[in-house]
This record gives sequence, structure tokens and C-alpha cells, in this order.
Amino acid sequence: MAKILVIDDDRDFQDSTRSILEENGFEVASAYTPEEGIEKVKSEKPDLIILDVLMPSEYEGFEVARKIREELKLIKLPIIILSAVHQVKKIPYHFAPDENYLPVDYFIDKPASPELLLGKIKELLNLQKPESEESTF
Amino acid sequence: MKKSEVVVIGGSAAGLTSAITARRHYPDKKITVIRKEEKAVIPCGIPYIFGTLGSPEKNIMGDDAYKKNKIELLIDEVLEIDRKAKKVALKSGEEIEYEKLIIATGSLPMMPPIPGFEKENVFPVYKSLPHLSKMLEVLKKSKRLVIIGGGFIGVEFADECKKIEGLEVSIVEILPHCLQIAFDPEFCEEAEKILEERGIKLCTGEKVVSIDGLKNVEWVKLESGRLLEADVVIIGIGAVPNVELAKKAGLRLGPTGAIVVDRFMRTSDENIFACGDCAEKVSFFGGRPSALRLASIATAEARIAGANLYGNKREYIGTIGVFSTFIGDTAFAVAGLTEENAKRQGYDVITGTFEAPNRHPGAMPGMRPIKVKLIFERRTGALLGGIFMGDKAVGELVNAISACIHYRMTIDDIASFQMGTHPALTASPVVYPLVNAAEMALLQAKK
Repeated sequence: MAKILVIDDDRDFQDSTRSILEENGFEVASAYTPEEGIEKVKSEKPDLIILDVLMPSEYEGFEVARKIREELKLIKLPIIILSAVHQVKKIPYHFAPDENYLPVDYFIDKPASPELLLGKIKELLNLQKPESEESTF
Repeated sequence: MKKSEVVVIGGSAAGLTSAITARRHYPDKKITVIRKEEKAVIPCGIPYIFGTLGSPEKNIMGDDAYKKNKIELLIDEVLEIDRKAKKVALKSGEEIEYEKLIIATGSLPMMPPIPGFEKENVFPVYKSLPHLSKMLEVLKKSKRLVIIGGGFIGVEFADECKKIEGLEVSIVEILPHCLQIAFDPEFCEEAEKILEERGIKLCTGEKVVSIDGLKNVEWVKLESGRLLEADVVIIGIGAVPNVELAKKAGLRLGPTGAIVVDRFMRTSDENIFACGDCAEKVSFFGGRPSALRLASIATAEARIAGANLYGNKREYIGTIGVFSTFIGDTAFAVAGLTEENAKRQGYDVITGTFEAPNRHPGAMPGMRPIKVKLIFERRTGALLGGIFMGDKAVGELVNAISACIHYRMTIDDIASFQMGTHPALTASPVVYPLVNAAEMALLQAKK
């Protein structure tokens, strides 16, 4: 059973995400602060991370992603950022995965449908083909 | 409720072109373009605001085309697409019913979340007149500009901003060369030489780790530990599709986050089309998802979307990728795959390079050299790409080569290409660089 670590300070979001993931056969670990997140990446050894951006200090999620890649050297550990930063900050630019400056696999805006999130998780865990290879339109 | 048979969301290159095309193909339909901006900025002209043009007002798309083509232009913002009722809701409170909808919402600049990115005078480049006016105002008062990203945006900004009196300009590029994604290294090196001769400082193979200062940016820290003093920073690392409306409407999004379209530019809703930076693209070479976003691609897609609204007339072949730029007084251009990109994609390639003066005899006024490199697939001899450098004429030569790639011309086709020449206008027919580069590739093939 694949283990997913959710790093997010929003307890309601944590609860609803946990039930969706568990219903779909995943084991779930939770962290409510960036520091706890880094600790649990080490102790829980998750197969995938769902990461928020705006936590107690702004943009801490970005720092967590960088630490996972650069300090913990977990280059291949799948990371999905799931954040409302674009909506909350109303900024005229976008953050997006970038090999050098934002080393995550997907950046999904909250709110996201369970189908979308589960699709990306299964794709990253090689449980289904990536969207680009789907033959249906 | 207002009705318009065709509604286009977005009035930049793709939106306007799709509306004009729709008018040509469907003369009796009512066509409405909804544009958020009071004045639309010409995307490719943006870097030139800061040097050659000197003002954002000189880089505005005229609205004459709307009147001339009997297209209604509404300055308003679409808040929602109701696919079931086939209507759009506008910020003004108005609603418009449509038969066919074209989404041309473009892209937004990508922001790298480098610590300090929110400091004052750190500018992503978005296509808004007030934003560009503010950037120009700040740049004119600044002493040191750091540009993050050495692709087309970064290099063109550097070259133009260097024309601002007293402004020191540096580019930080993470790859070993500026323009490396678009050109082979020998061309990148030539471009870098020109940039350095212009007094632009290049920090290649370097990553920015923080943007520092109190309220305003004061310096940029690089991974090597180097500090670059800066009172203004421009971010030019790319763009992401603007798909908020499409996403809210439940249209399918693709692997690069753009709106999925078929070869007719139809989205997952048969009455909605998408084109330009907001639409998903596939490469002409192999059909993989492509993240190339260029105005020339956008308008090609728009001419397909606009024509196909009431029946399939045109089909998209995939993105060839045709670029040109002008650094100092030298033009650089590329169509299709570079040698390095072709090899990376698994092609066995042969190349031919040739350089010749663009006049004959060379003593004719306006003589400049033109360098051409052509890249062919070894087994079939099919043309995969062409890279050019030199006189401004390469800006059009590359377009001719794009057509040759499109029709999969071979080494022999190009070596026997019939060209027109004139002493005051072109290279000599004897040393015409396109055909001679193909001949050079033939020599390689025989080795």
C-alpha cells in the first residue's frame, strides 16, 4: 500500500483529503507545519507528498520542496503542490513546476476535484498511464 | 440577453486572428471579441518598448481591424462560461449567448518562487500597458538590471535595456549558454559574444538562490556565492497557459496544463475551440506535448480554429517551432530541430553548414555574411531543421525553411532548390547558402 504524506496547516483539508485517499486504498500521514513535514518525510518515508504553499509563514511550501530535493536529496520522490496561492494572492503571474526553481511534479490549484488529484497521484505512482498517453479525448 | 453567433474570448494575436479568419470564412455570422484590456499590447514588441521604441504607447495593436472586418469589440471580462446554456457571463453583468466559442486567453508569466521574489522592482513580464509603463519608469531611474533567464525574452530585454543610458545589464542563465534551448552551441557562442561586446554581463551555468534587500531589491545571490548588485530584476523564464476560465467550465486540460484540443483546434466541447498560448500543443516531430508558446504559433492555430467553426476545413500539423531574434545588429533564426535537439529525440542526423556574403560581388553595399546550418535525418534525407545567423534576411529565409520542413523536403530537393538572386539583394547563385549547406550535408552523408 502506497503511503502519502499530506503537509498542510488546514485541518479540515487534511481530514477530507485523508478520507478520500484512504477510501482509495492509500495509507496517509499528516504534517501540519513545514518543520513537521520535513521530519515526517524522514521518519514516515512516504511514496508521494501533497504539499501546501501558504502555511504559517508565507510561501513555506516552496522551501519545503527545495529542502526535500536539495537537503534530503530525494530527487525522485513525487511531490504535488496543492495550493490556493494564485486565488488568495490574486497575482498576475503563475507558479509552475520548474526543474531548477520549483522542483515538483505538479502544481494544482485548490479547490481540485478528487478525480483530478487521484489521477495525478496514480500517474506519479505508476498506477495508471499519464494523461498525455490516454487515447480517449 | 445579447446574442452573437461567434464569441471570442481574448483580443491578443490569437483572438484577433481567429475572429478575422472566422469573418473571412463565415461572412454572415455575427462575431464578437471580448477583450479585458482597454488597449492590447503587441506581445513580441514588448522588449523593444525599453530601447528602440522608447514607449509602451508605440507598441499597441490598432483596433482598425475590428471595424474593417465587421467584428464587434467589447472591452469587458468573461467571468464564466456556461457550456450547457452556451453563454458567457461578463463582469459588466451582461450575458452573451453563442453558437461557437473560441478561447484565446493566452498565458501568464511564470514566476520562480526564489526567496525574495515579492520585493519591490522585481518584474515578471506581463502584457499590460500600465505594468509595462511602470517597468519603463523604474528602469529609467535604475543603475543595475539583473535579468533572470537567458532565453529569447531575457536576451532581447538585455539588448534593448542596454540602450537606456547608464544602465548596467546582467543575465543569469542556468544552462551553460544563453539561448541554448533554441540554438546549437556554435550559434549561442556567437550570440553571447555580441552581448558581451555590447557590455552585457553574462552569468551562465548559474542559478539564483535569493533576491535580497530591504523593501526594494538590492542584490541577487547566485548559487556559486556570487552577489550581483541590482536595483531592478526582470524575470524571463517562461510562461504558463492562462486556463482559469476553461478549467472552471470543465474543459479537459492536457499534460502541459493547457486546454486539450484536437487537430481542428476543438476542445473537449464540440462548440468550443481554443488557440494560442492557452491551447495544448504537440510537436511536428513525433507528436509529443510541446510547451512552445509563440505569437507565430498562436496565429497559425487561430487561422485553423476560425476556419473550422462550422465544419472542418483545416488541420494542424503540430508545432515546427520557428524563431528569430536580433541581437546588436545580427539576426539569429531557427526552424525545426537543432542538431542537439534532433539527437536528443533519437534521430540519426547529418548536418551541412555554409557561409556566404548576402550580396554579389561582396563589394556591393550592405554586404553582410549569412551562415546557414541545415539538419537532415540520415536515412531518408528529410530536412529536420535549419539555423541561420547574419543579415536581417535570415528572418525570412527561416520562414522558407519552415515550409521545406513542413513538406519534408530532402537534401537533394534543397540542393536543387530554384532561387532568385540579385547582386543588391541576395547571395550569389553560385554560393547561395541554403543550397550549399545542403551540398555540404551530402558530402557528410557520403563519409
